[in-house]
Amino acid sequence: MILVWKLAYKNLIRAGLKTWLNALALSFAFVLIIFYNGMIDGWNMEARQDAVEWDYGYGHLRNAGYDPADPFSIQDGHGILPEPFRKDLTPVLVWQGTIYPQGRMMPVLIKGIEVNQETVKIPSEILKTSTAGYPVLLGRKMAESAGLKKGDPVLLRWRDKNGTFDAVEATVVGIFETNVPFVDGGQLWMSLKTLQEMTGLHDEASFYIANEAYVPEPIDGWTFIDQETLLKPVTDLINAKKYGAAIMYLLLLAIGLLVIFDTQAFAIFRRQKEIGTHIAMGMTKGEVIRMFTAEGAMYSIFAIVLGGLYGTPLFIYLAKNGISFPVSGDTMGIIIAPTIYSVYSAALIVKTFLLLVISATLVSLLATRKIATMNPVEALKGKAL
Amino acid sequence: MNEKIIIIENLVKRYPMGETEFTALKNINLTFDKGEFAGFVGPSGSGKTTILNILGSLDTPTEGKVVVEGEDVSNLSEKASALLRKEHIGFIFQSFNLLPVYTVFENVELSLLLLKKSAAEREKAVTAALEWVGLQDMARKKPPQLSGGESQRVAIARAIVKRPNIVLADEPTANLDAENAHIIMQTMQKLNEELKTTFIFATHDEKVMQYLKRKIHLQDGRVSKDETMETKTLQL
Ligand SMILES: Nc1ncnc2c1ncn2[C@@H]1O[C@H](COP(=O)(O)OP(=O)(O)OP(=O)(O)O)[C@@H](O)[C@H]1O
Ligand SMILES: [Mg+2]
Repeated sequence: MILVWKLAYKNLIRAGLKTWLNALALSFAFVLIIFYNGMIDGWNMEARQDAVEWDYGYGHLRNAGYDPADPFSIQDGHGILPEPFRKDLTPVLVWQGTIYPQGRMMPVLIKGIEVNQETVKIPSEILKTSTAGYPVLLGRKMAESAGLKKGDPVLLRWRDKNGTFDAVEATVVGIFETNVPFVDGGQLWMSLKTLQEMTGLHDEASFYIANEAYVPEPIDGWTFIDQETLLKPVTDLINAKKYGAAIMYLLLLAIGLLVIFDTQAFAIFRRQKEIGTHIAMGMTKGEVIRMFTAEGAMYSIFAIVLGGLYGTPLFIYLAKNGISFPVSGDTMGIIIAPTIYSVYSAALIVKTFLLLVISATLVSLLATRKIATMNPVEALKGKAL
Repeated sequence: MNEKIIIIENLVKRYPMGETEFTALKNINLTFDKGEFAGFVGPSGSGKTTILNILGSLDTPTEGKVVVEGEDVSNLSEKASALLRKEHIGFIFQSFNLLPVYTVFENVELSLLLLKKSAAEREKAVTAALEWVGLQDMARKKPPQLSGGESQRVAIARAIVKRPNIVLADEPTANLDAENAHIIMQTMQKLNEELKTTFIFATHDEKVMQYLKRKIHLQDGRVSKDETMETKTLQL
């Protein structure tokens, strides 16, 4: 077995430039697969991290009536979590309201957050230290779409728990920069205490954000959704992009494999005498097939070496400096950092390696299995095919 | 000298030819002793190559029995026939059949690689084989850089490097000029004498025939004459 690999290696190395050209064709697929998946994995990792840092924490403990996907659940989806269960949790109360920036009317989701929290990156400490009457925070995209700047006053109108309208002049005391659209667009952050007073929902919350130390336990009327479950839609969306684009590099892979198939199919035609000679010298047809298959498989290894040679500097650059994307995640509804740093996991590299080697081996076997039906005498004459 | 290395009994070889069949060998009965220097001679199409291929287990008899080195080649498995060739039979072809990307050394070494010999053993045996054929200085060259005569000497070295009991040579001189044909034949004659290797040729070249100690005349698939020559050593 080792012998056929040695012979195959020798055959390829001696074939020189032709071998490297074939390997080059396949190496494009290799590099593109690693490049693309590395980018998506990097994106996925950043998106997950952003989502955790800005919103999900280590899970959400939701009031049973509250469903973030259903705006109608806001009215009743809140309650008082018994004091003994509040350890390692940051409360958030969600309410609906309307702001009137420059006389325009904009419905907003008001989120009241505990100002002393350190679980998520919402800069709630600004709310604590502000001397304004009704200090509020906005994400940058929200601030832009409302045309509001730091220090601007804005009229905020809402109904309290009994349905009575009320209004105050709020002040934008901070604008934060985030990649997470679902803490930014259409949202207005304020102190939990203030929102509880405004609505009359004393001590109530819609959900709690868990920190790392939180230990979930069953609580009547509340449901704990762990971090992984919360992240699933984020990951699913990104993975959908991954599979969608697979077609691109699978096409490139197919071209590379076709080159190998062609080379090997032609090789057994051209090298019939050589095949006959090997058989005359005492190789079985099986061994000759294995030798030719090994040659084909080795193209993939050469392709990986070659791709590694020119790909590695690119990969290192992309991992260190990232790629900038002009599109904002907001318009796409997904978390996307302005710069994505590619991540190349061992799993990605091993998987790609195996994909290439296995597919090249199969293709090469397909091209060379004809040897099995060759008559050695005819092969020696060069007339077996 | 009467150990029978090859026994051929009632050998018939037929090839399918469309609807009918073509009989290339018709009831051949022969035996070969160890160390013979024999050849099948006869006109083109008389069946020389066919019989040599059967002796080398590259082809199978249609009828009859052919025993080579104690193995009945008419019903050997593919593996067993490969093993027989690998261990006991060396082939020399009209068109040399050297592997163009391998060096002379590597071409000769290949049969030892297949036999899983150690690097030291291979080095020693290849060097010796190249010395026998007088090509010790060409070990690093590749076949395209060699003349026809040199190429065929490499092929001889490759055939004998594993010290096979039988060497089958099909028209080994057909692509060579007279001078080289004689060199080749003398080289093989010397090997036959020194190593006691059995050589069986297929040829219609007079220059080859001069060296044969036994000439088996084939005519239309039959043995028409089986003559043993007086021992003589030819000089160019
Ligand atoms: N595969 C085959 N199918 C049909 N007929 C064949 C086949 N191989 C050989 N023959 C026929 O068998 C006969 C003997 O062929 P063989 O090659 O043994 O002749 P030869 O004596 O070696 O001739 P040459 O001196 O031309 O090499 C020829 O008539 C040839 O046409
Ligand atoms: Mg012939």
